[in-house]
Amino acid sequence: MLDVANLVTAYGKIEALKGVTLQAERGRITCLLGPNGAGKTTLMMSIAGILQPQRGSIRLDGTDLTGLTPARIVAQGVALVPENRLVFPQMSVRENLLAGAYQRNDKAEIAADIERMYERFPRLRERREQLAGTLSGGEQQMLAVARALMSRPSVLLMDEPSLGLAPMVVAEIFRIVAELNRDGTTIFLVEQNAHMALQVAHHFYLMEQGRVTFSGTPGQLAEDEVIQRAYLGARRTN
Amino acid sequence: MDDYLVSVLSNIGVISFVALSAYLLLLTGEISFGQQAFFAIGAYAAGIATALWGWPLGAALAWGALAGGTAAVLVGLPTLRLHGLYFAVATLAFAETVRLLFEQFRYQVTIDGELVGPNGTDGFRGIRYIFENDVGSLQFLGLIYALLLAALAAFVLLERSRLGVAFRMIGEDATLAALNGIAVARTKLLAAGLAGALAGVGGGLYAHLTTYVEPRIFDVMLGVHSLAYGLIGGLGTAFGPLLGVLIDIGLLESVRVFAGYRMIIFGGLVALLLILRPRGLLDERVVHRIRRAWFRLLVRSHSTERLNRDLP
Amino acid sequence: MIDFVQNTIDGVMIGSSYALLALGFTLIFGVMRRLNLSYGPSIMIGAYLGTLAYVQLSAGPAVVIAATVIGAVLAGVYVERLCFAPMAAGAGIASMVSSFAIWMQLEQAAILVLPHHTYPFPPLATGAPLTLGPFLLRVDHLITLGCALALSAAVQLLLYRSRFGLALRAIINDPVAAHLVGINVRTAVMLAFALASAVGGIAGYLVLATDQQVTPMFGMWATFKGLIAMMIGGLGSIPGAIVGGLVLGIVEAQSQWYFGPQVRDLFAYVLLFTCLVLRPGGLLGEPPTREPALGRGRA
Repeated sequence: MLDVANLVTAYGKIEALKGVTLQAERGRITCLLGPNGAGKTTLMMSIAGILQPQRGSIRLDGTDLTGLTPARIVAQGVALVPENRLVFPQMSVRENLLAGAYQRNDKAEIAADIERMYERFPRLRERREQLAGTLSGGEQQMLAVARALMSRPSVLLMDEPSLGLAPMVVAEIFRIVAELNRDGTTIFLVEQNAHMALQVAHHFYLMEQGRVTFSGTPGQLAEDEVIQRAYLGARRTN
Repeated sequence: MDDYLVSVLSNIGVISFVALSAYLLLLTGEISFGQQAFFAIGAYAAGIATALWGWPLGAALAWGALAGGTAAVLVGLPTLRLHGLYFAVATLAFAETVRLLFEQFRYQVTIDGELVGPNGTDGFRGIRYIFENDVGSLQFLGLIYALLLAALAAFVLLERSRLGVAFRMIGEDATLAALNGIAVARTKLLAAGLAGALAGVGGGLYAHLTTYVEPRIFDVMLGVHSLAYGLIGGLGTAFGPLLGVLIDIGLLESVRVFAGYRMIIFGGLVALLLILRPRGLLDERVVHRIRRAWFRLLVRSHSTERLNRDLP
Repeated sequence: MIDFVQNTIDGVMIGSSYALLALGFTLIFGVMRRLNLSYGPSIMIGAYLGTLAYVQLSAGPAVVIAATVIGAVLAGVYVERLCFAPMAAGAGIASMVSSFAIWMQLEQAAILVLPHHTYPFPPLATGAPLTLGPFLLRVDHLITLGCALALSAAVQLLLYRSRFGLALRAIINDPVAAHLVGINVRTAVMLAFALASAVGGIAGYLVLATDQQVTPMFGMWATFKGLIAMMIGGLGSIPGAIVGGLVLGIVEAQSQWYFGPQVRDLFAYVLLFTCLVLRPGGLLGEPPTREPALGRGRA
C-alpha cells in the first residue's frame, strides 16, 4: 500500500537515507527498527513531506507522494504521529483534536470522531479542556495518536511512540496500536524498543546507516540478534 | 589622490570599525543593534581628550577605546542572561538611551576665549586636532588604515587562536561550549569589551575626521547598518564586514548616478542576496573553500620544490 | 494628583494605539519567530496611499482608511514574500537584515513619490474635548481607544473561534506539528502577515488622523513603538502586547508631563532595558526557557 523505493534524503551533502526501499502492506503493522542515527526519523519526515527527498519515490496505492507538501500528503490519507509527540502545548486537548481534523469540513462527523477518541482514550476525556503541555508523557502520546487519527488516515505512521515512557504506558500504547490495526488501520511503526515492536509486527525491517539491512517476519531472525542490531547496529551477518 | 576619493576611503575605513564590532559579537552568537553606542562614546571621549584636555591623538584614541570597551563590559554584565531577540532589543534600548543621554550632555570649557565641548543636541564642534597639528587628510587616511589593518591582523590571529575557536563555539551552542570547559560568561564579556573598544577606536577616528559629532548621527540606522554589513559581506571572515562596507559606501554612495534610487536598488539587492546567501558573500563555506585551495596551492608548490631539490 | 490621573488617562488612550501596533508585531513574531523591521514602513506605505487619496482625490475618511489598510497589507505581503517566505529555517538573522533592507527601500520609495516633509491626514475628530469632572477627554483619543478595544476583541475572536485562528495558534505552538495536521503553513503565515498589516494600518490611521499629518519618520516610529510595547508586555503574548502598549503610553505621558519630550523617549528605552534585564519574558509573558533564537532550529 505504501511503497518507498530507493529513497535518498540528504542534509546538505550528508545522505541520511542512502536508497531505502520498503513497503507497508494494507491492513498490516509494519515495523522499522534500527539504532539511533540510522535514519528512521528522516524516513518518516520524508514520507510526511517535512523533508524533501533528493531521489527515489514514495507511493500510496500508486499515487506518487514524492515532493508533495505535508498538507497535500495528509489530504492523501497519510498521518504521522511524530517523534516526541509534538502536541500543541498551549492548546487544550480538545483543540488539539480539532486541529487534527483541520482539513475536514464535516462538523457533525468531526464531533462524533472526537467522542470516539474520548471512548478509546478515556484519560483524554477527563483532561479535554486542559492545556496539552501539562499532560504527562503517556497522555501526550495518546493525544498525538488521537490527533493523527482525526484526519481518518488510511496509513498511520508512528515515530518511536514508546520514547521516554514508562514500561506500563508503553504496553498500553502497543495495545492501542494492535487494536487500531484490528479495526482496520494500516500502521507503519518506527521503534527502538524492538521487543514490544516484534510482538505486534506482521513484518519488519532493520535499518542501519541509511539503508535497509533486513526484511522479514518476526521469528525469522532470533530476537536477541534483532535487539542487538536495533540498538547497536551490529554488522550485517548472513 | 583627489579629495573626494580620500574622503570616501576615510569613511569606509572608519565605518569598518563599527562593522567589525558588530561582527565580533555575531561570532559569539549575539546580535547587537547597539554598537553605535560605543562608537559614540569613543567619539565623544576622544574628542574631549584632544579638544578640551589637550591630549595627543594617540592617547585620545586609546582613551576612546578604553571608554568604549568599559561601557561595553558594564552593559554586558546585566545582559549576560539574555539571548537572541531579547539581547538584540536590549542592545537597541541601551544604544538609544546613550544617544538620548548625549542629547542632554553638556561639558564645555573655555579655550582661547571660546566655548568648546559637547553641547547636547547642538553636538560637539571644533575637534580640530588634525588641522591644528598639520596632519594632512592623506596622512590621516593612512592612520585609519594602519589601525584597521592592525585590527584585521588581530582578527586573523583570533580566528586561529583558541579564543577564536571559543568564540565560535559559543556562537554555535553555548551549552555545548560550557560542557567543553569554556567559561562562557567571561568569554562573552571579553568579546563584548573587545567589540566595544573596537567601536570606540572607530568613533575616535570618526570624530577627528569630521571635526564635528552630534547625537543624531549615532542612531539605530547606524547600528542596523553595521550588522547588515557583516551579513552582506559574509560572516565567514573579518573581511566580510569590510566587503559589506565597501559595497554600500564605496559603490553606491559614491556613484552619483544612483543618488535618488540608492536605497531602492540596494535594499532590493540585499534582500535578494540574502535569499541566496543567508550568511553573506564570504560565508563560512566559501571561506573554507578559499582556505583549502590556498593551502593546496602552498602544499603543491612546496612539494614541487622538494621534488626538484631531491632529484639528481 | 489631578495631573497624574489626567496623564494616565491620556497615556491609556495613546497607549491603545501602541497596543494595536504591538498586536500586529506579535502576530508576525508568533508565527515566524522572527523580527520584522519593515512592519512600520509597510504601514507607512499604506499611510502614504491614504494621504494621496486625501490630497489628490479629496477623499473622505472612509476611503482614506481603506487606502491606508490596503496599502499596508500590500506592502506587508511584499515584505513577507521577499524577506521571510524564501528563507530556510536557520536564517533568522538573514530575514531580519533583509527586512531592514526593505525598510530602507520602502522609505525611499515613499519619499520619491511624496517628497515633502509632511502631508496632511484627515482629522479623526474636531471639536472641543469632553469633560469628566476635572479631567479632559479628547474625542479623537476616545475614538482611538474605542477602535483599539474593538479591534483587539475582533482579533481575539478570530484567533479563538475561527478555523484560521486555530491554524495560526497551531503554527505559533509548533510549526512542524502544524504541517503534520495538514495546515498549509505557508499560506497561513502569509495571511497572518496580511492580518497584522491590516491591524497596523488601522492603528496607523488612528495615530495619523490624531496628529493630522504623516511624515517619512512614521515608519521607524511605528516599528519602535510596536517593538517596545511588545517586549515590555511579553514576547509572543497577545494580552501582553496590549498591556505593554498601555504601559508604554502611560509612562510616556507621565514623563513628558513632568520632564519634557526628550526625557520621555529616554524613559521609554530605560523602561524597556530594565524590563528585559529583570524580566525578559515581559510583564505577561513567560520567562524564556528556550531562547527565541530568531528562527534557528526547526522548520
